[in-house]
Amino acid sequence: MRVLVAIPALNEEEAIGGVLGSLAAAHPLEDVVVIDDGSSDATGRIAKAAGAHVVTHPINLGVGAAMGTAFKYAVERGYDAVIQFDGDGQHRPEHLGELVAAAADADIVIGSRFADGGSFKSSAARRGVQRVIARFASGYAGTRLTDATSGFRIAGPRALRVFAAHYPVEWLGDTVESIVLATRQGLTVREIPVVMNERAGGAPSQSLFRAILHTGRILFILGLASIRSVPPQIRALQRRTQNEVAR
Amino acid sequence: MTPQILAIALAIVLLLVVIMLLRSYVLPEKYAVLWLGASVAAIILSAWPGLLDAVAAFFGVAQSINLLFVGAFVVVLLLLMQVSLEVARTRDELRRAMQRIALELERRKERDD
Repeated sequence: MRVLVAIPALNEEEAIGGVLGSLAAAHPLEDVVVIDDGSSDATGRIAKAAGAHVVTHPINLGVGAAMGTAFKYAVERGYDAVIQFDGDGQHRPEHLGELVAAAADADIVIGSRFADGGSFKSSAARRGVQRVIARFASGYAGTRLTDATSGFRIAGPRALRVFAAHYPVEWLGDTVESIVLATRQGLTVREIPVVMNERAGGAPSQSLFRAILHTGRILFILGLASIRSVPPQIRALQRRTQNEVAR
Repeated sequence: MTPQILAIALAIVLLLVVIMLLRSYVLPEKYAVLWLGASVAAIILSAWPGLLDAVAAFFGVAQSINLLFVGAFVVVLLLLMQVSLEVARTRDELRRAMQRIALELERRKERDD
C-alpha cells in the first residue's frame, strides 16, 4: 500500500523542520506532502529544503481545504492511503505504522488521545466536552470513538476516493463532519490509542463558557451533517463508479 | 385569525426553504445558525402575537408593531453589514490569490525561457 503523509501547515516555520526531521525516520520524505496553507513565513521553503513535497495555497483556506488538496494530490499521484499529520509536533511518527496496520480492516482509522492506552492531560472542562462529543460521534459511526476532533488519522483507498471528491471545509468540519460523511457513504471508522505531545505553542486554556459553546457548535455540525443529503460531488463520484461497474 | 395563519404558513415556508438550502449544500453552516434563528423567531412571533405585545409593554412601546419594525430593521442592517464585510474580505482574498498566481506564472516563464 502506497501511503502519503499529508501535513497541513500554517506559519509553522519554527516547528516544521523538526517535525519533518523526526518523521523521516518513520516514513520516506519522498512520500510526504506539506500543504502550505497560505503561510506568510518560511514554512514552505523549509519543508522543501527538508525534502518533502510542498503544495502551496495562494491564500489561507483552512485545514479542511488543505486536506482536500492533499486527497486530490494523493489520487493524482496514485497513492492508496493518506495519513493526516500535524505540523506543530503534536503527533508522533512512531504511531504511523500502527495507523497503517489498523487501516487493513477499516476505511478510516483515528488516532485517539482518550482511548485506553492513549494519553492526554487536559482540564476538566475539556474532558467534559470530549465526553459529550464522543458519545454523539460514536452513535453516528456505530463504533466507539473517543476523540472525534483528533486530526491524526488515516484514510484508506475507499475513503480516499470519497474525500478527494468532497471534503468538508468549514470550521471543525474536517474532523467531525468527515466522520458522519464517511459513515453515510458506508465506510467504516475505528480508532486506535495514541500518545500525543503537548502543542509546541501550549494548549489554549478553555473556560467553561467556551467549552459549552465549543460543544454546542460541534453538536450542531454533527446534527447538520446527519440531515444533509449527499454532497453533489460525491453523488457524481457514485455515478461514475456505477458506470464503471456497468461497463 | 386568517392573517395569523398566513403569517405562520409563511414563517414555516421560510424555515423549510432554509433547511432545504442547508441540505443541498447551498447555504454554508456559517450562516445556518442565523437563518434558522430568524425563521424560528418568525414562527414563534406569528404563532404567539401576545409575546410581542408583552415585550413591547415591557419596553414601554405604545404600538407593539413598531417594536417589531425597529427590531427587524436592526437585524436587516446587521445582516447587510455582515454581507458587506464578507464581500470586502472575499475581494481582498481574490486579489491576493491572483497576485500570487501571477508571480508564480512569471517565475515559471522565466525558468522555461
